[in-house]
Amino acid sequence: MATLNTDVLVIGGGATGAGVAWDAALRGLDVVLVDRADLAEGTSGRFHGLLHSGGRYAVKDPRAAEECIGENRILRRVAADCIEDVGGFFVTTPYDDPQYADKFAAGCRDTGVDCEEIDPAVALREEPRLNPDVSRVFRVPDANIDVWKTVWTLARGAQQRGARVFPYHAAVAIHRGGDEVTGARVRSGLTGEEIDIEARVTVNASGAWAGAVADLAGIEGVRVLPGRGIMIAMNHRLVNTCVNRCQMPTDGDIVVPIRTVCVIGTTDVNTDDPDDHTVLQDEVDAMLDDGEKLVPGFRQARALRVWTGVRPLFEDSKAADTDSRDVTRAHALLDHTERDGVKGFVTITGGKLTTFRLMAEETVDAVCRQLGEPRPCTTRTEPLPGSEDEANYRLGERLERKEKHLVEDQLICECEMVPRRKVEDAMRRRATTNLDDIRRLLRLGMGPCQGGFCIYRATGILHGLDGLSAEQADAALLHFLQERWKGIWPVLYGDQLRQARLDDWIFQGVLDVEHLPA
Amino acid sequence: MRGELHYDVVVIGAGTAGLTAGARLAEGGARVCVLAKGVGSTHLAPGTIDVVGYTPAVVQSPAAALEELVAARPDHPYAVLGSGALADAIQWFRSRVESGPLPGYRYVGELERNHLMPTAVGALRPSAFVPETMAAGDGAASVCIVGSRSLRDFHPALCAANLARAGIGARGVDIEIEVTRADENALGLARRFDDPAWRAAFAARLALKLGADERVGLPAMLGARDPHGAWTDLQQRLGRPVFEIPTLPPSVPGMRLFEVLRTALRRAGGRLVLGAEVIDADRDGSRIRAVSTHAAGHDARYAAPWFVLAAGGFSSGAIELDSRWSTHDRVLGLPLSGLPAPGEPRFAGDYLAEQPMARVGIAVDGELRADGAENVLVAGAALPGAVSWRELSGEGIALASGSRAAQLILAQAGARTGAAA
Repeated sequence: MATLNTDVLVIGGGATGAGVAWDAALRGLDVVLVDRADLAEGTSGRFHGLLHSGGRYAVKDPRAAEECIGENRILRRVAADCIEDVGGFFVTTPYDDPQYADKFAAGCRDTGVDCEEIDPAVALREEPRLNPDVSRVFRVPDANIDVWKTVWTLARGAQQRGARVFPYHAAVAIHRGGDEVTGARVRSGLTGEEIDIEARVTVNASGAWAGAVADLAGIEGVRVLPGRGIMIAMNHRLVNTCVNRCQMPTDGDIVVPIRTVCVIGTTDVNTDDPDDHTVLQDEVDAMLDDGEKLVPGFRQARALRVWTGVRPLFEDSKAADTDSRDVTRAHALLDHTERDGVKGFVTITGGKLTTFRLMAEETVDAVCRQLGEPRPCTTRTEPLPGSEDEANYRLGERLERKEKHLVEDQLICECEMVPRRKVEDAMRRRATTNLDDIRRLLRLGMGPCQGGFCIYRATGILHGLDGLSAEQADAALLHFLQERWKGIWPVLYGDQLRQARLDDWIFQGVLDVEHLPA
Repeated sequence: MRGELHYDVVVIGAGTAGLTAGARLAEGGARVCVLAKGVGSTHLAPGTIDVVGYTPAVVQSPAAALEELVAARPDHPYAVLGSGALADAIQWFRSRVESGPLPGYRYVGELERNHLMPTAVGALRPSAFVPETMAAGDGAASVCIVGSRSLRDFHPALCAANLARAGIGARGVDIEIEVTRADENALGLARRFDDPAWRAAFAARLALKLGADERVGLPAMLGARDPHGAWTDLQQRLGRPVFEIPTLPPSVPGMRLFEVLRTALRRAGGRLVLGAEVIDADRDGSRIRAVSTHAAGHDARYAAPWFVLAAGGFSSGAIELDSRWSTHDRVLGLPLSGLPAPGEPRFAGDYLAEQPMARVGIAVDGELRADGAENVLVAGAALPGAVSWRELSGEGIALASGSRAAQLILAQAGARTGAAA
């Protein structure tokens, strides 16, 4: 069995874990990052893409609002290339309590969230599809953030500073020496191979799965209540601004434009199992109805796919004075030396994507305390690779780049404008046979045709890489089709059903993939 | 709106079923107008005439499998159509191909045996009648699958590797093809193959790479205007059988098929109006009196004693499942059948399982007559009961039902065949 030694082992490759790896690497620590699946395949990759202004929490949870606006300002600089500055509106629709708007304005003022009330006519000029009956509109600095790009940029930035990153490696045991955690054993989900990782400090950044990882370390009472929410991606940017209902946080209260789509979210249902991805018909119906309230005609647009994410809502059964905020959206940092008398182990859970950097900072501060090595955090100012010029991503960048190379480089995915060279580079770099890994990196197959045209092409390219067998290529194709279908069929109606039928014709009627040699 | 136009029959839909019905009606002496929102499934399908390929076991003899299918599924279009319709329709189709606009182009095959045609991913796909330009793909012992990096829609190494897994001696090679833009598709390359000089240069490059006994498989792009000429020339130059393999849309052999049927319609005096979506119907009790179309800046109304509805199913948008989960015929508002029962799932979670919504179509009686509209006959993918992309039965149903609809109308006195030339 292979063994590795490191300063910090991070279990969990979502935004928080990758953020911890980046932060620790910047502080000069040696880092190993593992995830049981692909990076950002859990909660991080399963949200709507909103970089909060804090407005959503301005009334209900002022501290969360303050954290959000603080982090929003930082991330716009240091992760500029992952963020599109679309801005946000909070709008009072006829379905909302008109009293809330004044509370909202006061909350924003008190928490420092930039907020300007604008004439609804101005908002309607900017967003013509918005419900024309909105009575009040507030402009806030919401934005969207491409989480896969962010997480992979964090991981690569860490790698450039010596970190080692192992996707598809699940922690199967956490090593204890008396009252100290000394590392973990991880197992590859692809090869079954195991690695023993000795670490001075182990960080449990596994979000909704943090209780299970703490259990492995023999630490009790770390309870994470997974809150399941659904999101639906529509095939157009029905709005180009994040549009929020101006009311207390509730289901279906936001539409986020991101990349080529817009996403409506979300619901919040307690579940026992963080891997529960059930999508209920009622939830889909309610979400589409909510879309109509913000953007009349919402149901006429094509719903591309639906997915669920589980928020980690932390509850510490050991803490006597758990206040209500601790079971809502706040993050929780548990230094198990203080909490359980176990050294070398830190748990970070709860929280939200917008505050991942802050969570990482506090976590690595705790790691440094455990190591007895004060090392200052620099992630507030150090730009992520690619964001050095502080220029935000713009919709249309890909088209602009692509148009210069129409002759030399094939488009493999027309919907998301992914060129062949990028597909080949990503396949080589990741050394993966899972086309979903490529999808998350490049948005391959994420547009209206949901892989109808690009997946045969990508499979052919994958097969052309060194040493890949037809069996592996076929498995990759069939796996992608099945994974994609999971998110399609619960929201399949209208023109998207036409699209699905065309895809059926391609894969079943023309290529006959069901009858590939067994 | 312009004045109302009067025909003996108005056909809605320009896929295989609509064009077949239109051409055969016109040949029978009816004044026919085919209205369509756009071209139909021909441009997306492989251009083969599939009768039945899977039941779900792979079908050796379509003729034998049809008997079982009809017995097992009385709701299937083949059960409604009866056994004679198919053979007659295929004979008609083959003769129209051979007398059609593509000199020498023809289909080969028989109802007693399916070909096993290599697909672009290297599966073996059963099909009864295939263009002669594809036929050598069936039963080859040793093949060289040829593609080009310039064509992103065909991957010869993957195709060959899967064929090899099925026991065929196969390898893939790449030939360099210069293109003016990187996103070239099979249609763009098919136009090159129409050029004899270009073809000769291609053959010379390819010949260097071939082994002694290999047949040559190429993506289906051997000529748009003169595929038979291109294919014959390439076979002679390479001194061996050459075959086409259908790949991603746009389908070159499908476009040839469309050309054949459109020519048959026009030669018989029928009219084809593309870009004319039917948006409204004028009903007179249980009859449709006229339909209105929206096209190119003006609306038009077409009146006829008979209508053939061949506008397709969900894939064309003719039948719609809306966001409140109710299903409609968007063209004429006719009743549907084959729907899952209320409260039952619409789709299955397993992508390759049969989907409950797959068999929806316009409800018809034993003579293709739509429920609730006595002068509307239904043909092709608008018919309920078949899952043509899984059964591989689409063109067989389209040809047979298009032909049958024409025959039923022509047999009625109401068809006013006095207009015959």
